[in-house]
This record gives sequence, structure tokens and C-alpha cells, in this order.
Amino acid sequence: MEMKFTGEFSVDRSKKDVFSLLSDPEQFAPLLPGFHSMEMKDARTAEIRARVGIGKIGGIASTELSLAGSRPPHHARYSGRGKLMQGVYRLHTAFDLEETASGGTLISWQGEAQVTGKILSLAGGGIRSYAEKQITQLIASLEAALSTEPAPAPPAKPGGWFSRILHGLSGTGDTGAPARVETQSAAALSKETQAARERVNALLDAPHADSRPARREDDRLVKGKGFFVDDYSPAGLLHMSLVRSPYAHARIVSIDVSRAEALPGVACTLTGDEVMKMSDPFIQIGAGSPQEITDYALATDKAIYQGDPVVAVVAESIAVAEDAAQLVDVQYEPLDVVLDAGEALADKAVLHDEAGTNTTFSGVYEYGDVDQAFADAAHVVKIGKLNFHRFGSTAIEPNACVATWDQRGEIDLFSNTIMTVPLAFLAPALRVSMDQIRLRTYDIGGSFGNKICNYPYLALACLASKKLNGAPVKWIETRAGHMLAGGCGSERVYLDTEVALDSDGVITGIRSKHIDDIGAYPRYEPLGSVIWSQVLPASYKLRNIRIDFNQVTTNKGPAAPNRGYSRLPHIWFMERVVDICGHELGIPTDEMRLKNYIEEFPYETPNGCVYDSGDFPAMLAKAKELVDWDGWKKKQAEARKEGRLIGIGIGTTLDSGTNNWGQARYVNPHAPFSGNSTAATVKLDLDGTVVVSLGTFPQGQGHETTAAQVVGDVLEIPPELVHVKTGFDSLNDSHTGQSGTYASQFVVTGLSAAHGAALKLKAEMTRLACFALEAEEKDLDFGVGDMGPQVCVRGTEQALNYWMLANFINSNSASLPDDLRDLSLNARHVYMPPFKVPDVEKKIGNLTLTYALQLHISVVEVDPDTYQTRILDYAIVDDCGTVINPMIVEGQVHGAAAHGIGAALVEDISYDADGNAITGSFTDYAPITISTMPELKCSNRQSPSPFTFHGAKGMGEGGGGPLHSLCAALQDALHGQDIIIENSHNSPMSMFERFAGGSEKGVTVETR
Amino acid sequence: MSEPLQTVSIDVTVNGKACRRDVEPRQLLVEFIREELRLTGTHIGCDTSFCGACTVLLDGVAVKSCTLFAVQADGAEITTVEALEKDGQVHPLQQAFSEQHGLQCGYCTPGILMSSLALLAQNPNPETQDIRKALSGNVCRCTGYQNIIKSVQAAATVLRRS
Repeated sequence: MEMKFTGEFSVDRSKKDVFSLLSDPEQFAPLLPGFHSMEMKDARTAEIRARVGIGKIGGIASTELSLAGSRPPHHARYSGRGKLMQGVYRLHTAFDLEETASGGTLISWQGEAQVTGKILSLAGGGIRSYAEKQITQLIASLEAALSTEPAPAPPAKPGGWFSRILHGLSGTGDTGAPARVETQSAAALSKETQAARERVNALLDAPHADSRPARREDDRLVKGKGFFVDDYSPAGLLHMSLVRSPYAHARIVSIDVSRAEALPGVACTLTGDEVMKMSDPFIQIGAGSPQEITDYALATDKAIYQGDPVVAVVAESIAVAEDAAQLVDVQYEPLDVVLDAGEALADKAVLHDEAGTNTTFSGVYEYGDVDQAFADAAHVVKIGKLNFHRFGSTAIEPNACVATWDQRGEIDLFSNTIMTVPLAFLAPALRVSMDQIRLRTYDIGGSFGNKICNYPYLALACLASKKLNGAPVKWIETRAGHMLAGGCGSERVYLDTEVALDSDGVITGIRSKHIDDIGAYPRYEPLGSVIWSQVLPASYKLRNIRIDFNQVTTNKGPAAPNRGYSRLPHIWFMERVVDICGHELGIPTDEMRLKNYIEEFPYETPNGCVYDSGDFPAMLAKAKELVDWDGWKKKQAEARKEGRLIGIGIGTTLDSGTNNWGQARYVNPHAPFSGNSTAATVKLDLDGTVVVSLGTFPQGQGHETTAAQVVGDVLEIPPELVHVKTGFDSLNDSHTGQSGTYASQFVVTGLSAAHGAALKLKAEMTRLACFALEAEEKDLDFGVGDMGPQVCVRGTEQALNYWMLANFINSNSASLPDDLRDLSLNARHVYMPPFKVPDVEKKIGNLTLTYALQLHISVVEVDPDTYQTRILDYAIVDDCGTVINPMIVEGQVHGAAAHGIGAALVEDISYDADGNAITGSFTDYAPITISTMPELKCSNRQSPSPFTFHGAKGMGEGGGGPLHSLCAALQDALHGQDIIIENSHNSPMSMFERFAGGSEKGVTVETR
Repeated sequence: MSEPLQTVSIDVTVNGKACRRDVEPRQLLVEFIREELRLTGTHIGCDTSFCGACTVLLDGVAVKSCTLFAVQADGAEITTVEALEKDGQVHPLQQAFSEQHGLQCGYCTPGILMSSLALLAQNPNPETQDIRKALSGNVCRCTGYQNIIKSVQAAATVLRRS
């Protein structure tokens, strides 16, 4: 078959330009339709591979294209031959150039093609029209390439040839960024792409305004100017990658790093042996055998979970570091794994040989007269086993740091850790004093508690920097690394629970055995063995409780504090107990709560904790109104007739805030902790600026905003005039050993410290102003005047602005009388809540200062075949005392709800029988998205705390309300089928596996 | 692996500015944006195209820049979060996210802003369901999403007026 085509077109470019393009196969070939790649055979001949397709026939065709002749700058011709699917084709094409009157070029072209072979019969009559289309496309590409305003290629075009040609033609050279490229030629872009670009550019041109951020943090964050660890790249930065154990439990037989170290760009490697020489094991919190546990920054003789870091590799780029990590050869000898809490307690396999047992805590929490309560009980409900699953808050910013251990022996550690406690772990391990570590954070991309435990990685980066003579070393956790080893909540099982109730359904006693499964290393976790007891009776008034509490290590990723830390799993247990008892005894779920709720506040729990304020019945009434309880009850009854499974569940929860660290002594009587403290400084800087430094590590909670509010209130100036330093910096000296952002405490500890420091500063300013203005304290007014923030004598024009006041101390002190020379205008205040040391023997004491309350009601429908749960309605009432910033409080309520809903229905960190992580990425773990999240109906009550200066209570953790209410709703939906909701995680798969074949009901009721 | 990798020259227009760089063929677009161009507003959160913290617009279409190689963007117009601000002033979308408290820690925010921008460019008056669909590839761990939906709605209202 033979085809001939001719045509002409003109462009605004000179003949010389056009000829130079057309006569250069290297420039011309990429313009061919479907161009894929090319190789120059010689200066005139190119081997071109291009995508072709006719109907269903397609593939990559290979064509040898040569410049058969040329006459600069008038004529060029090509000939080509190629093969495609049992066919052969030949091409000839020629271009003749003629200058136009306007200085452009008229291009006349002709082409011939001959096609033979089987392709003809396959493609039939489609070839001609296909060839025509190809030619049209080629001409369009030529026109575009030769247009005055050069256009880049469509993005799908690989290799960048097209752009290079354009730049060659437009004479922009190799380095420039020509403005002309900014304007795109329509010819080279599809209409669709052009339109999409224009729509976005039009939207970007919408009228802008000066920023009026609702929170001061927002201004930088919405502009993409947040300063997160990975944004910090000092000169000479090196990058650290980790070789992690592929086994859940294995002896490390040998490590060979020679191939990795030989890779160009690699700075060094670190192994466990070196880490043992350079550092000491991290301190252990637990008492007795757990004290023997040796926890280094890298695995030494054994890897004890999948993902345990075994070797660190540092290189000039993360890509090289990762390449090199793959060249490290580690030989392992796999060992038996222990993954089940019960088996771990029985030491079926032992992780820490030096401790000789997996148990990290074992103790009985007993209050009241439990046996008598059971002897007197009208009903005893027995629940065989309940399970609280493993999940994590998975902050979107992973754990990260940049460590520099400089020649002076000083360490600059820029990280996203969230409290000062890691300093207590790091300094002794690194054999330095705490002040040698400058710990600093700026913006932190979420933590939810997890980042407390990133210190082994921080230590490792420090050691790498030390080995490299002070080069800064960056470590950014990968998401896969996070899912294996970055910290998540612990698991807990509740065995052989027995509940005593009176004839009216009031719970009088509970006895149970709990095992907390914390994964491979204890680290912060021993504290979880006691922190749950802050909420021992949850929201209920029973007085007789015995809980045999055990904590064990297993061959899974190490757990870390996770939003609702340790209290949430316990409240979930109590909520299941109350809910199951109500269902089993036929008591309506709302009545069951009302019969058992604590009624009077302040309320002292059996273990000496003081619930400060609140009103559960009022919250329940409000939540029922929000969700339309009665309406849903009717709908539920109707749906049941149709076989549909609708359930309505109540979750009542507590968010205890501001720890009494004395509770650590329940775990280790020698722990030198009690009470709580944090510091803040408020100073008048040299120029009179009010500067606040906090001992907190905010991760989105708006600390800068609320601290400015509180300090501004004290000094009687608008918060805009108060500068709050971003993040934490140990150089600011605004911290104590308990400073940090954890345990729902900023509003109490952080703001109390800032408030106290502001009062101290104000007192100093008052003394100074009395002297300078020759006035009495009672005659002074603070406020803002013509000269900015000032102190003035009431009713007069006598005033000193903040600069003048600051200047007395900082630059002009000779005129000060002796009795004012103790002033610094740099006020530091340490806030210490009024705690006492708890009675360690009896495990009695006030363990937290405030208790925020939340009540959730959820309505769900369960698909009887697939066990898919759909949330039909969701209401929340929260009470965190006096609200400092309603917007921020509501944001925390929403966020905590999303975590709970995600955990209850979607998120589950799981392992196979060998300890291999099943959820090793977000794709497997699938954190809750906007698609799954229901609309929340929220309301608020305010019962001021009598124990804080402002009446506010910590509230960020939320107490896991959705886990309680959704399990209760599922119970309500499925109760008719004799199903007990005994797991905190209820994804369709987990419910299907549990219930589809019929399940043994693990609950019995004895009525006497 | 030990051989130095060849580089490829690419030309892109980023936030209205043309630029040319030699990149390794294996370099991800997000690495190119963060490391080569030092536009650090675009974040990395998951490495597997799930979280959307790295979302940018490629020729007006929201894409996850951890899923594309930089060479695939050759010739394209890229829009990152830094394009929203003009001379220190904020775009109505940014203002709405702040006013409606559609962000907390701010790490996912740039990606969510870019997905929202792409949505509003296509659909100036989105229903809640449209917003949920457009943002289904962006994970936020702080806000619970409710205020993000409100933010996009508020921005849409302002932008329709202008």
C-alpha cells in the first residue's frame, strides 16, 4: 500500500531557525507523534522508538530515520524504514523553506509511505486515516515548536526533549529561566489542560486580604511557612537511614557493612557494637527485673520486633543512604516469638534475656470490700474476655530530628519530641549533662503522645553526628518505619471479669485481671500500669474494685503514649461492663447509666482521686436531645421489624489532665517523682516587647494563641502585643523536668505558669513605674496609650511606655535606687499544682488535677451480611470547665472523635502469627478519611474546675468517647443475636470473622 | 547503584516562575519541589500516595507529588501552596481555613488547600459530598474533617462573591 501527502504551513521564525530544527534529527525526531525514545546512530541517522496504534493493534515501532539530504537553509529530506508487527514500512519526507514577506518562513512538505506485510490485513483501511492523523499531529508539533512564544511539551511526554528544543530555538541558553516560557502556547497544550490551568490561575487571582488569622499560628501554617524538622537543612547536612530487622525475634549472628561503606557518598555506618561503646543503655522506669533491661539506640545481640533498628547508615543524601542500607548484610538466627499477652505473661518466649521475664509490672489495685459486694450481690455478670486493640494516632509528620554534636561537646537537637522527659533518657545515655543538649522544636505536625518515645532515634542521630565530628545528621522516619516502630497505643486484655449488681441494677463491685501488652521495649510504658487508675471507677459510683494489673512485653513494635493514654482502654473496659450488664439484665441503656453515674462533685474515687466538677445526667439529657433519642428509638423499632440492625449507644468518658507524677511510685517506689510543674518566662525585652517563652511543645493546640490571651489579660494589653515564642527551646530556661505537651495539661500547667510569670512581671513593672512616675501603686493604670503599651498615672498625662520601662533595667540603670536593683523584668514562674505524694502501699492519692467530661451518643446500622457499620447519627456533649478558646476546644473535640471512630471501625495495627506486621503502610492501615467521618453534632456545658485559676480543665485527649459509644451501639444493634461486643475494634472483616459462623457468648448472668 | 546516576534536564513553571533543573530520573516530584526548589510548604507524610500532604497542582489538576517523578512534570505548570499568598496577603481559601479552624498542626494543610483549590477551580459551588469526594485522598489527623468541610464551603462563598 502506498500513500502520498502534501501540504504547507507558515511560522513566524526565520528560515535559519526553522532549517536548524528540521535538519537536525536529534531535534526533529522527538516531534514525531508517539515519540518514545531515540538513539543517534551517527550525526544523520537516529534509531527512533515511537508508540503506534491502529484500533486494537498497537505497540512500540522502531524506525531508522536518516537525514537523506539537505541544502541549508532551503531544503531538508528524510528517509526512514521500520518494522511493526510482521509488517514493514518505508517513509520519505521532504521540506522546502521559503522566506515570507513578514520575515517568517513558509514550509512546504511532502511525504510518501509504503506499507507491506501482515499489518495491512490487520489494520485494513484504518491505515490511511491513521497516517493522516499522525501527520496532522506532527505539523501541529512543528508549528508549536516554531511559534514565537515557545511552548513546553505536554507533561506526559517523557525525557524533556521537547523543552530542550524550545529553549534551543528561543536562545535562552542552559541556565536561564526565560520569562517567555511562562506564557504557554495553546497549540502545544490540550484544550482541557489549558482550561484547567486558566481556571486555577483565575482562582489564584481572587482578591487577597491582609491576614486576620483566628489563631496566630495559622498565618504561617496556611502559607506553607510552618517550620517543621524536615524543613531544616543546615550546611553540610547528612542523612540517616536505618536497616531494620525483618524478623520479629532473632539473634543477630553477624553484620557486614563493608559494601555499604564503599558506596560513594556514604559518610559512615553505625552498628549495635559501636553504639554500646559510645553510649549507655537508656534508663528504665520499672522496678525489679525490668531495671535489668538493656535498651540501646540500636539492637545489640538480638532484634526483638520486626522493624527493630539494627544498623544506621549516614550519607550525603537520603537516596544514597537508602541505597547503602540495602547493601548492609545482616545474618539472623530466627527465634520463637511471643505475641499474645497471656502467653507473654507465662514467658512462653522471653524478649529481654537479661530481665528473665516479659512482665514489666504486676500489682493488685484493690479498694473497698470486694468479696462482701459479691456476697451481697443480687446478680453477678461474668465476662470471659474483652480485648482492647492496638492502634496509633499516626501523626502525619513522622518522628524526625536534626542532631549536631559539635566540637565543644554541645549537642543541638532540633526534633519533634514533645516533652523534656526525653532529656532525662538522652543525657545519661549519651554521657552528657542535660544542659549540653539544646533541645528545641518549632512546628510539630501532630503527636498525640506518640512522639514522647522517639528518643532512641534522637540518640542515634546524635551518636552519628559525634562519629562524624559534628556534621549535622538528619533523620526523618518513613511511614513504613513509623508503622513498624514509631509508637502506637498499647493493647490490653481483660480476663475473667465479674460484676456484682444489686437487684436494682446498680453495680456494687468489679473484679478482673488485666494484661497490658506494650510491645518490645518498656520505655515510657511502665507508667501506663498506673495511669489508668486515674479513672479507676470511670464515671460510676461503685466503691468496691479489685483489678489485678499486669504489663508484658511482646515481639511487636514498642508502644508509646497515645491520645487517651492508658485511661482510654480502662474507661472502655468500664463502659463495656456497664453496657453489657444493662443489656444482660434488660435495663434500658440510658437508665443503666443514670442508675450508676456519679452524682455529686467534687467526688473522691475509691483510690483517692478527686473528680472536680460536672453533671453526667445533664450531659446525657443534652446529648439525647441533640441526637433525637426518642426519634431514633422509634425508627429503630420499625427497622427491626424489617430485619434491619440499628443500634443506639452511649459512651461516657473522662479526660483526666495534669498528672501527679507521684503515681510513678506505684510502679517504682524509688522513682524520684511527685507532683507536677512547668515553667514559663514573660519578659520585657530590650525594646519593650512582651516576650513569652513556654515550656510546652505545641503540636496544633494553639498554645501561642491562648498564652497571648492570658498574658495580655494580665498586662491589660491586646494579645496582638504579646509575642509568644514558637515551639520549645531549652535555652529559654522556661522548663522543668515535667514540662511538655502531654496528659491534657497545657490549659492548666502551661497557662498557669504563663499567668504566674505575667503577674510577676507586672509586679516588677509596677515597682519600677512607681519610682519613675513618682506615684503610688494604687494610682497606676496599665493599658495602651499613644506611645503603645504603657503604665500611666490615672487621670494624668504622666506615662511610661514599655520601652522606657525596659530601658531602665537593660540600658539605663545608673539612675535606679538600690532597692530596685533586684528587678530583672524577666519573670520566670514555676507552676506547681497542689498535689500530695500518694500512699504507695495502698495505692491511694489524687493522681490528676482536673477531669473533663464527654458524653457521646452514636446511632449505627450494621449490614447483617457484610457487618459493615454505617454511622447514622452522632452527638457529643463536652464539659471542660471554663472555656478559654471555644474554637480550639471544639477542634479538639472533633479531632479526638475522629481518632475514636477510626479506631473503632477502621484502624487496627495487626501482625501475623510470626510477628510480621500486616499494617506496614497507610495503604494497609488506612487511617480514617473525610469519606468515613460522620457529621458531629456538638454541644458544650461549662462546669468550672474549682482547682484551677481560670476554672478550665485539660481536654485534648478526649477519652475515646467513640470507642465506647460505637461498641455500645453495635451491642444494641446485635444484642438480639446473642452477640457480645467484646472487641474495641469492629471493622467489617473482624466482625465477620467473629460472628458470621456464630460465636460463643462469653457472658453469663447469675441471679440469686 | 554505585555508578553516579545520569541526570535529565527538565523545565517546569512553578508558581508562575519558569525554571530548569537537572534531576536524577528517580527523583520524586515532591523531593524536587522541597529539595531543589526549597519550597518546603509541600510536605511528605506517607510515601504511598495515601495521605495527600504532598498534593500540588499539575496543570490545574491535584496530584500527589510523591507519586510522580520530577521528569514527569517536564513542561508542566506546577502550583504549590506558596502560590496562594500574594505580597504577604492571604487568599480567601487560606483565610477561610483559619477562620473556620480547618487546621490545627498545619502539616496536612498545604495538601488540603491544594486539593480544595483544584475542587473550587472545577466547581465553584460544591455540595458537602463534592468536598468529601475531592478531599478523600487527604488525611488530617487533627481536625476530624468537620471544620475542613466548613472551611471549603466558606471559601467557596467568598470566591463566588468575588
